[in-house]
Amino acid sequence: MKKVLLLALSILLLSCITLYAEGTREEEEVGMKVGLVTDVGKVDDKTFNQFAYEGMMRAAEEFDLKADYIETLQPTDYEKNIQTFAEEGYDIIVTVGFMLTDATVMMAEKYPDIYFTGVDQFYPEPLPNTMGLLFSEDQSGFVAGALAAMMTETDVIGIVAGMEIPPVIKFRKGYENGAKYINPGIKVLGVYIDSFTAPDRGKAAAEAQIAEGADVIFGAGGPTGSGGIVAAMEKGVYGIGVDQDEYYTTMGGGPAPYLLSSAMKRVDNAVYTGVKAAVEGTFEGGHWFGNAANDGIGYAPFHDTESKVPGRVKDKLDEIIRMLGDGSLETGVTL
Amino acid sequence: MEKSNYKTIVFSALTIILNLLIIRFSFRFLGQDLKSIIGFGKLGSISVFTGRTIFILACLGLAGSIFPLVRRLEKFINLSFFVTAFVAVATLILWAGIDSKFDIVGLLALSLRLSTPIVLGALSGILCERTGVINIAIEGMMLTAACIGFTAALYLGNIWLGLICAVVSGAVMSLLHAFLSVTMITDQIISGTVINILAVGLTGFIRRSFLIRARLSRTAILPIITVPLLAKIPIIGAIIFTNQPIVFMMMGLVALITILLFKTRWGLRTRSIGEHPEAADTVGINVFKMKYQNVMLGGMLAGLAGAWFSLETTGSFDDLMTNGKGFIALAAMIFGKWHPVGAFTGGLIFGFSDALQIIFQIKGIPIPPQFLWMLPYLITMVVLAGVIGKSTPPAADGKPYIKR
Repeated sequence: MKKVLLLALSILLLSCITLYAEGTREEEEVGMKVGLVTDVGKVDDKTFNQFAYEGMMRAAEEFDLKADYIETLQPTDYEKNIQTFAEEGYDIIVTVGFMLTDATVMMAEKYPDIYFTGVDQFYPEPLPNTMGLLFSEDQSGFVAGALAAMMTETDVIGIVAGMEIPPVIKFRKGYENGAKYINPGIKVLGVYIDSFTAPDRGKAAAEAQIAEGADVIFGAGGPTGSGGIVAAMEKGVYGIGVDQDEYYTTMGGGPAPYLLSSAMKRVDNAVYTGVKAAVEGTFEGGHWFGNAANDGIGYAPFHDTESKVPGRVKDKLDEIIRMLGDGSLETGVTL
Repeated sequence: MEKSNYKTIVFSALTIILNLLIIRFSFRFLGQDLKSIIGFGKLGSISVFTGRTIFILACLGLAGSIFPLVRRLEKFINLSFFVTAFVAVATLILWAGIDSKFDIVGLLALSLRLSTPIVLGALSGILCERTGVINIAIEGMMLTAACIGFTAALYLGNIWLGLICAVVSGAVMSLLHAFLSVTMITDQIISGTVINILAVGLTGFIRRSFLIRARLSRTAILPIITVPLLAKIPIIGAIIFTNQPIVFMMMGLVALITILLFKTRWGLRTRSIGEHPEAADTVGINVFKMKYQNVMLGGMLAGLAGAWFSLETTGSFDDLMTNGKGFIALAAMIFGKWHPVGAFTGGLIFGFSDALQIIFQIKGIPIPPQFLWMLPYLITMVVLAGVIGKSTPPAADGKPYIKR
């Protein structure tokens, strides 16, 4: 009885897999192949992984590449997933996230003929086939901080940050410095949460900050930070999103009468740039830096708060972006 | 006797050292005229001299930890542990409250709220393990319930129906666990692991195919309920009687399950199966039925815990949003010695240290947050080491029952 049941179950499962494979098989043969390995999460997680994926797909369409992705379930799978693409003969491999740095370097050493490009990855000794895609998160955070400082009425603002890793630290310090650039006397409350997938704790942190008088909350850390923004929306104080326009993601396209903007990190532009370089043969080992000068960072539209943000604030933000871009203003953030 | 004396001495020595360190720490503030402001919600606040208060508290703590050592009174060892823990926490709060009000009521309310999924998960674990089924799949059941509950709330347009669906989906997942571990006699750890992995895939699939494609991402959250009259009681009213529904249910369930387990026939049967299933069977108890029943009840509790994440807290669903709370729940269960009230205490300690950590960061206290995250595990280890009473699982925990 037991064996029959098990057998029946396995057959059912196998047929499901075959059916699924039938449905998704790519028929056409194309030139180069590009593969993307996500950090723990999914390519449509509405954050980071999704934007990297979109950047890859834009390059794939433009240059007629075969593009695939593997979603990582747990950190121990990083290497295995990269290796899967390498052994399947992919020419370009995109790895998404700081956490994949070591795995990417290791695989790049093992497969010198494959181009590797990694979002948020810094390589102390870059190989000829690795390109790290880095962002001036400090600039992005700086703009958000300036916006928060101009919109606060209590002169207390908060940030709910994710794990204490370099890109997040740069966001937080940039935010603090940006706020102090506008108002040196402003009080910036901040909390790191040791996970990017804990919206409940992010929300708790934001509520505690609001209780301390904060009236603008910057949520910088994936769903954890989004939890902070949700708290802001509920309490009727302003929130600022991160990485991409959270009006469309966390807020589901509105209405969001308290979402000011989002401190954008154009991961899509970065991945596109990396893949493009590999296709066009201009790929050089090293790093690409996304900043205010090359559309690597920016801020999202105000959407429903358009009418609440005064014109002088908007002008000031554009001025700050311009000054950050031409180097006449520096964020003063060092790690 | 010899061994426990040795334990008492080592443990007392540790608490004495900790209290001495706190006294040493208070010297930092004694010279200065610093005051700490401690708030009590709407009752107002008091301000005390930081250095002196810490000094006096630590002296009391020191006395409390020397006392059991001198008198060789082992039953007071618990007391010295709790006194020292209280002194340590009070010291931290006084430190954080220097020149900026530290609201105790806010801290406790936040702790209770953050502990809710942990306590519910621990109760789920208790129901399963008291009938001899180890359930490490609480995390997976929570995640599934968070997802299904949220999806149902969106599609049915009613958050309460979503809550019911979350509880039912927890039960369905636990039915799978019961089937694998009771009927198929699979290793219970493997069955639990499989369910945890299945939950990640399943919820990812649901989120992708039903939530993101349909551009649905938000729902309202369960309303805050203010209990009439009781909510007006100072301090307690704000902490306990002004909360969201699942927090209330959690507190009610702790009491209910305690009574059911220890005062009813069902409870006696449950416990006897966990200790000695053969004996239970001999006296005519249907072991399989009871195991199925309890594992499914446990799944429903895990489902409720899952609903806390998506329906009561964020009003959205994110991948992996339960974030390991299901495993922390198991630690709380062990801390509580497989007793609902103990598990409640354990859950509160986890919730408290998380809340404390958040507030310390906001106040800019230079204690690494990692230290406070670590604290509950440290306490659990102390409990596991058998210093303050022994934590023993049910005798037949994890052993499949094969009817002869």
